[in-house]
Amino acid sequence: MTTGISLVRENAASMQPPRMLWVSFPLGYPLGKPGDAGFQHQVIRHSLQLLDHPAGPVLEDFPLDVPQVGLDQAPACPVSFAKPKLDDTTWRVKLANELLLLKPWYELSRRRRGRTTVGVCASSIDEILERISICLDHPEEALPDLKWFKYAIEDAKAYYTESLIAQPGDYLPGQVQQQLWGETVLGEALISYYEYFNQHPKLEPFARLVASRQSISNAKDK
Amino acid sequence: MPPGFRQGQSIKCRLDVYSRQNIPKPRKIQIMVRLADLPDYEREHLLSKNRSPIGPAVWVANSKPLSDKRIALITTAGLHFRNDETFTFADATFRAIPIEEDANNLVMSHSSANFDRSGFQEDINLVYPIDRFKELVAERVIGSLADVHYSFMGAGLLPEVYEKTVRSLAGMLKKDKVDAVFLTPV
Repeated sequence: MTTGISLVRENAASMQPPRMLWVSFPLGYPLGKPGDAGFQHQVIRHSLQLLDHPAGPVLEDFPLDVPQVGLDQAPACPVSFAKPKLDDTTWRVKLANELLLLKPWYELSRRRRGRTTVGVCASSIDEILERISICLDHPEEALPDLKWFKYAIEDAKAYYTESLIAQPGDYLPGQVQQQLWGETVLGEALISYYEYFNQHPKLEPFARLVASRQSISNAKDK
Repeated sequence: MPPGFRQGQSIKCRLDVYSRQNIPKPRKIQIMVRLADLPDYEREHLLSKNRSPIGPAVWVANSKPLSDKRIALITTAGLHFRNDETFTFADATFRAIPIEEDANNLVMSHSSANFDRSGFQEDINLVYPIDRFKELVAERVIGSLADVHYSFMGAGLLPEVYEKTVRSLAGMLKKDKVDAVFLTPV
């Protein structure tokens, strides 16, 4: 027998699995709030209670929204991203400089949490950023291997976001993403890759793996 | 061999469009997932995932109290250990997560770029609540945990494509004497 969590009520209602608890949490947050064992237990116990239903399918709504914190209460971004003059340097240098800013915060974040999620790609973060910059600085160069590229940007994004959550505290879902895509050279670089992939029919499906719909929408809206 | 940038428009031409100075000021952060609250493009995308039920309805009646049940966790978050094979872009296979392994060593190779990973990076239990379930065992709320738990990567494929591997996994869960499975998306 199964029970579980649904993040999109309409999807669960359409497919009618035997028992599901719909939660109003953002994608990526099925248990609601990181670091809040009490809240996570509420979600789990509510879902486990569905096992006692005599008949199904059962789709219940979890009664609580994710605990809210104000943006002013969330930890501030620890990194002050410098704003170099446009075109005064290469992507390679801009990304390398940004990495220098992030490294102490990444190490602090890793020590605080006792773990890192970087390591999907075999390449180091220095090598990843270097290789990402090549096509941007030298459009005549061939694209990186796409399989390598996907895992490489996963690690790059993980490295950045872990750096941005170095300080303890309650971060708003989406807060760090907004910083990553709106304030960093890496975000700019990946949106440039997205645009390139999106213009080529054979590569268009890959564009969706590079940047989120929201980050692209924000870039287009400005 | 994928085409290089040489075959397309120079990427430098686009850098003015996405220059740092043009990045929008921070806007309201979307933290709810009630569809009515989402932008049109996001709502339409999620609604496109609606599907009819796969086959006839199934129902297993409850036969023992929760405190006697052996439970397995299955997530679609694309989790695995660093030495495991990464998930490919569209991948119906699963990865095993033995209970004795440290879940803090799990990484994520999920194809979707459309969810925030920072919560997972802060706390593995947000997507794979193994510590919470260990606490439930200690409190005798549930009977025990399976020896092995599992992760799929839920993106890019229709649900029915997973049937073969899910049937294989069901046999493994039976061998582990699992009574119930707790499913988490991402």
